[in-house]
Amino acid sequence: MSSPQNIDALRQRIASRECLSPIRRPVLSLGPDRLDAAFADNGLSTGALHEIVPTASGDLAAGIGFGACLLTRIACLRPGFVLWALPADRGRRGGAAYPLGLTALGLDPAHLIQVEACKGTDILWTLEEGLGHPALSAVIGVLPERDRSYDFTASRRLAMRAARQGVTALILRGKTHPAMSTAAETRWSVGAMPNAPAQHAGPVGAPRWRIELTKCRKGTPGQWEVEWDHETLSFRFPAPLADRAPAWAHGTYGSGWAKAS
Amino acid sequence: MALTAADGQRLREDKPLVLITTSETGQHITALNTAARGMGFRPGMTLADARAIHPALQVAHADPAGDERALIRLALWCQCYSPFTRADPPDGISLDITGCAHLFGGEAGMMENISKRLSGFGLSARLAIAPTIGTAWGLARHAPDPCHISHPRKLRDDLAPLPIAALRLSPEIRRALEKLGLKRVGDLVDKPRAPLAARFGSQLMRRLDTAMGYEEESFTPLSPPVSHVAECRFVEPIITRKGVEIAVERLTRDLADMLEKAGKGARRVELRLFRIDGWFETVPLATSTATRDPHHLCRLLCERLDRIEQRAGFGFEAARLSAIQIEDKPAQQEDMDGPVHDSGRNDISPLLDRLVNRFGPDRVTRALPCPSHIPERAFRFVSVLEKTGTPDWPAHARTVQDGADFARPLLLLAPPEPIIAIAEAPDSPPARFEWRREPHRVTRAEGPERIAPEWWRTHEDASRTTRDYYRVEDEAGHRFWLFRDGLYERAGNAPRWFIHGIFA
Repeated sequence: MSSPQNIDALRQRIASRECLSPIRRPVLSLGPDRLDAAFADNGLSTGALHEIVPTASGDLAAGIGFGACLLTRIACLRPGFVLWALPADRGRRGGAAYPLGLTALGLDPAHLIQVEACKGTDILWTLEEGLGHPALSAVIGVLPERDRSYDFTASRRLAMRAARQGVTALILRGKTHPAMSTAAETRWSVGAMPNAPAQHAGPVGAPRWRIELTKCRKGTPGQWEVEWDHETLSFRFPAPLADRAPAWAHGTYGSGWAKAS
Repeated sequence: MALTAADGQRLREDKPLVLITTSETGQHITALNTAARGMGFRPGMTLADARAIHPALQVAHADPAGDERALIRLALWCQCYSPFTRADPPDGISLDITGCAHLFGGEAGMMENISKRLSGFGLSARLAIAPTIGTAWGLARHAPDPCHISHPRKLRDDLAPLPIAALRLSPEIRRALEKLGLKRVGDLVDKPRAPLAARFGSQLMRRLDTAMGYEEESFTPLSPPVSHVAECRFVEPIITRKGVEIAVERLTRDLADMLEKAGKGARRVELRLFRIDGWFETVPLATSTATRDPHHLCRLLCERLDRIEQRAGFGFEAARLSAIQIEDKPAQQEDMDGPVHDSGRNDISPLLDRLVNRFGPDRVTRALPCPSHIPERAFRFVSVLEKTGTPDWPAHARTVQDGADFARPLLLLAPPEPIIAIAEAPDSPPARFEWRREPHRVTRAEGPERIAPEWWRTHEDASRTTRDYYRVEDEAGHRFWLFRDGLYERAGNAPRWFIHGIFA
């Protein structure tokens, strides 16, 4: 019963029950093997809904940056336009996406279509529209703070539409949301991470985050510290050379976090 | 033609009513109703005289601007008879009905139709159909009967008994002619031309010639003529949204057929729904690329029909869909094995159209690089409806950042926000700073990157100071883009610190 054919057949039956398309979408390798190993398919599934939650209120840029890097990797796998939906007041409150900053991360703004909507429902509508279009590579939506329109039904709609055309959906939602279940494939908690222990003065290097996979439907949750490599357009673990912290510093940064070896 | 009263007082149509204007010489009557006319009042009388004759006279102030708006509105409504209409202030509307009359059962049928409709709106109109604009103008205002049709052969006979005023002449010429005893157009027609022209100038002869049809005359219509128009008239007025949608579906199909035959695609279309009470509703639509896909156009238009039922009034009697802006769009060969062409799948313009339709053209944008080193001027967002080439962002980034990898932030604050910063030395990065009442201790800093002002820009309120940009990282690992506005060595005001962006 445990032969691969049987398992495949069972998976297809489950997929048909879940009303998801039986087409196997390619999976997205994030870079390091140890990161991909968290997923049963050895990579993040495309054509699915993924959530990004900034760890703290000041980590919005980290969340958007992580999302932009995911979009970059998705664009390598599936070239096309990216639909970027964000609240209209974003420019005044938390800063608007800067095309040159996106270029630095490897995402070409020429393929970016920015939609400014007022309400969360408008953003979700935009994402749904985009997900129905096969020419898109991915859609990303930044929900307004304290938005109530994103719930299980909305996430389920997005997930089903994403599966139909193979367009990946990313949702950036605030921490203030009540604990609720959504139909997202994965949920990432992204926070800023200092470049190296503060005692070592030096240049501000590549973008670096402390990411935590808090929910994963097909895989095991975990925590990592990753860096973005804009040359290879992939994530990497910070080089061991940079991690020369004295032993006591591990008390603040190290414990509980998977470290590069 | 009715004049509107500006204040909300209730006026009775069956009692004498006058409209007045106030000038330096007092209050004068400008318009009056039939009852007032019957009592001997005339336009131009002072209000004091009128009140002396009839103290119970109803008086309201005239609203010339409102009259003109209403006139234009009515002229636009008249487009359901002919696409070429214009308002002819103060009280007229011209329609070029060439090739339109047969749709209403000939000229007589059309005139009866218009007359019935206008009296239904509560307007007392005088109508005339004539082969020339001048004759129609004169007949409408001075013919003995309120509805007059002039035929080309009878043009001279119709014109001859009209007073000189029917020729659209300036008051001086009219008065001079009347002094000479030339009171009718017929008195002028057979007179020798040279002495008349020498005495009264070219205006008289031109008016006479255009009225008689010896000289061409045309007018500029309110809306520019469009080559591709689909129309439908309803047997019964429709008031439901569903009914309008069915009409839109038919119109888009007709328009798409027309465009297909012409090898064109529409960039801007306009749906106009004519209400039975002389009003109309307009639904404009713009698309990102030329399209003639009826389903796409229909869907876009139907999405714009919110609240159409509330605005329908007593119902819509006709609908027109015109392609206002068209572009060449050659016919494409569809695949033999299926109707969907592969390039159609990768075309995102239908998606863009739907987004623009919902959020407006300025809310759906793409970024374009601009040749400037000033961070906030190095890019601009343009509407997806604008045609742009594919920009080369990596090259632009290399130029602007001078080879650095992460020199520009992910999020840019517009405008830059002032911060309170403490630097150890005048030219060093800040050691700590406070932004939005939150203190940050800087642990790492890179910089400065000096960006000089664009001194050649004189007309804009561009920054006049040199900025020194620093990338800093605080204890929590957040990275910010700060700049010092101004230089220390310059005399005058001390440099100020700003935050301009946040890194990923």
